[in-house]
Amino acid sequence: MKKAGKDERIWLVLRNIILLCGLILILFPLWLVLINSFKSLEEAGKNFFALPSKLNFDNYVELFTNSNYWIFLRNSFKITVISIILILILVPSVSYSIARNFNKKYYKTIYYYLLMGLFIPSQVVLLPVTKMMSKLNMLNHAGLIILYAAFSLTQGVFLFVNYIRGLPYEIEESAQIDGCSVFQTYVKIVLPLVKLMISTLLIMDTLWIWNDFMLPLLILNRSQSIWTLPLFQYNFKTEYSFNYTMAFTAYLLAMLPMLIIYCMGQKYIVKGLTAGSVKG
Amino acid sequence: MKGTNRKKMSGRMTFFLFTLIPVVLYTFFYVVSVINGVCYSIMLVIGVIVTSLILAISLNSLKIFKTLTKSIYFVPAMIGGVTIALIWDQLYYRVIPVIGKALGIGWLSNSLLMTGKTALPAVVFVQLWQAVAMPTVIFIAGLQQIPDEQYESAKIDGATAFQRFRYVTFPYLLPTVTVNLVLTIKQGFTSFDFPYALTGGGPVRATEVIGILIYNDAFKNMRFSLANAEACVLFVIVALFSLTQLKLTSKGGTD
Repeated sequence: MKKAGKDERIWLVLRNIILLCGLILILFPLWLVLINSFKSLEEAGKNFFALPSKLNFDNYVELFTNSNYWIFLRNSFKITVISIILILILVPSVSYSIARNFNKKYYKTIYYYLLMGLFIPSQVVLLPVTKMMSKLNMLNHAGLIILYAAFSLTQGVFLFVNYIRGLPYEIEESAQIDGCSVFQTYVKIVLPLVKLMISTLLIMDTLWIWNDFMLPLLILNRSQSIWTLPLFQYNFKTEYSFNYTMAFTAYLLAMLPMLIIYCMGQKYIVKGLTAGSVKG
Repeated sequence: MKGTNRKKMSGRMTFFLFTLIPVVLYTFFYVVSVINGVCYSIMLVIGVIVTSLILAISLNSLKIFKTLTKSIYFVPAMIGGVTIALIWDQLYYRVIPVIGKALGIGWLSNSLLMTGKTALPAVVFVQLWQAVAMPTVIFIAGLQQIPDEQYESAKIDGATAFQRFRYVTFPYLLPTVTVNLVLTIKQGFTSFDFPYALTGGGPVRATEVIGILIYNDAFKNMRFSLANAEACVLFVIVALFSLTQLKLTSKGGTD
């Protein structure tokens, strides 16, 4: 009995050490980014790890006034919002029509056709997609938004069709008997029932689109004025490689929007993301 | 007669050299990148599964500050891959050598990304830093489904902490392990952001995983058909794992 108690104590100590090490490993890089963004280059060169001697906002001012940070932020924001709106309109409605017509050959074919996309990672199609988009003259924001909507359709439809098929049909039937048209049934009955899945989709795709690097690299790399934030950060590396405190400021500003959103709704975000990644 | 024959022969020879050598070379590069990708995935998978399992068990048994600690551990999943890669690029350049010199460890004293041997593990570590978050949460969800009575009865029977893990926790977690395994393998094979932003495939192709090779062949070397052929092989690999994942989750293996 005594031995078990000792085991327990060793485990507790070990566990706390592990967790503490993990916390340091996660927070220390972010902490370094934060403190160095307030330093001038000379100060950081003198001591990289020390706290800044005073709150020095020069890097921030420089970034806001002299670089195109606001343009990139606006581009990122615009692309994310429009794609998400498009996705939230498309995915549930496509899934609803497939789920409730699953016995018909046409809908079943569409479903399996979309499902095939689950097996194709984006690296595989990167070249054909880029060629196609350049032939269509769509190497711009509109093209990127369409690509996001198309890529999200596979996973989204897979998640939604399975979910909607699990819902009881009787509720919709009674709504139709009461005189609802199909569209009314969809808006008033089905959408409230799939609210949970919609939030999952919203969180998953917002995070993906906001942080995505590969598709913007392929589609938007032509001219600087249409870059998104991840592209801006990547090119910052080559452009300002000597001025690394400034680069830290840029990284911090790029992380900030997502971190603020995370602080506000972390419970939902964690839940939504895990649900999406396990089932998709 | 002899002369023309020799001409023909040398013509054949040049034809042979000009077609075969690139083929051999590109096959070689592809094999190298597949090996890199496999090494990358194996390191990532072992790292992610072991770390996230330990973290999940530790976090799950935590009594105070549980929510706060959990939410801090999930922060890396919020940050984009490029941002993380660029931050760690700076850290590898400025912080790790300082630590290495302070501790007197030779291989830590210069930038890990510059030496061929350490570059691949260094890139894996950066992706690990982000990729651990999601499996940890999935594991915690799996752990919470184990009934407490199981532990209590095991305790009464005199099982040690390790035995309790081996015979109670582990069998319950097995389906969750498979899901995380498949997810991470897919992530490893399709990794692009981290190697691209950290090393771009170098030094001397040491970190050239399949995604990077396809990108470089398509957009830097302008060998479109080659890149497409490479993409097809990647497709087969990933499709196999996706199919496994689909089978596992549709059986209800996760919950």
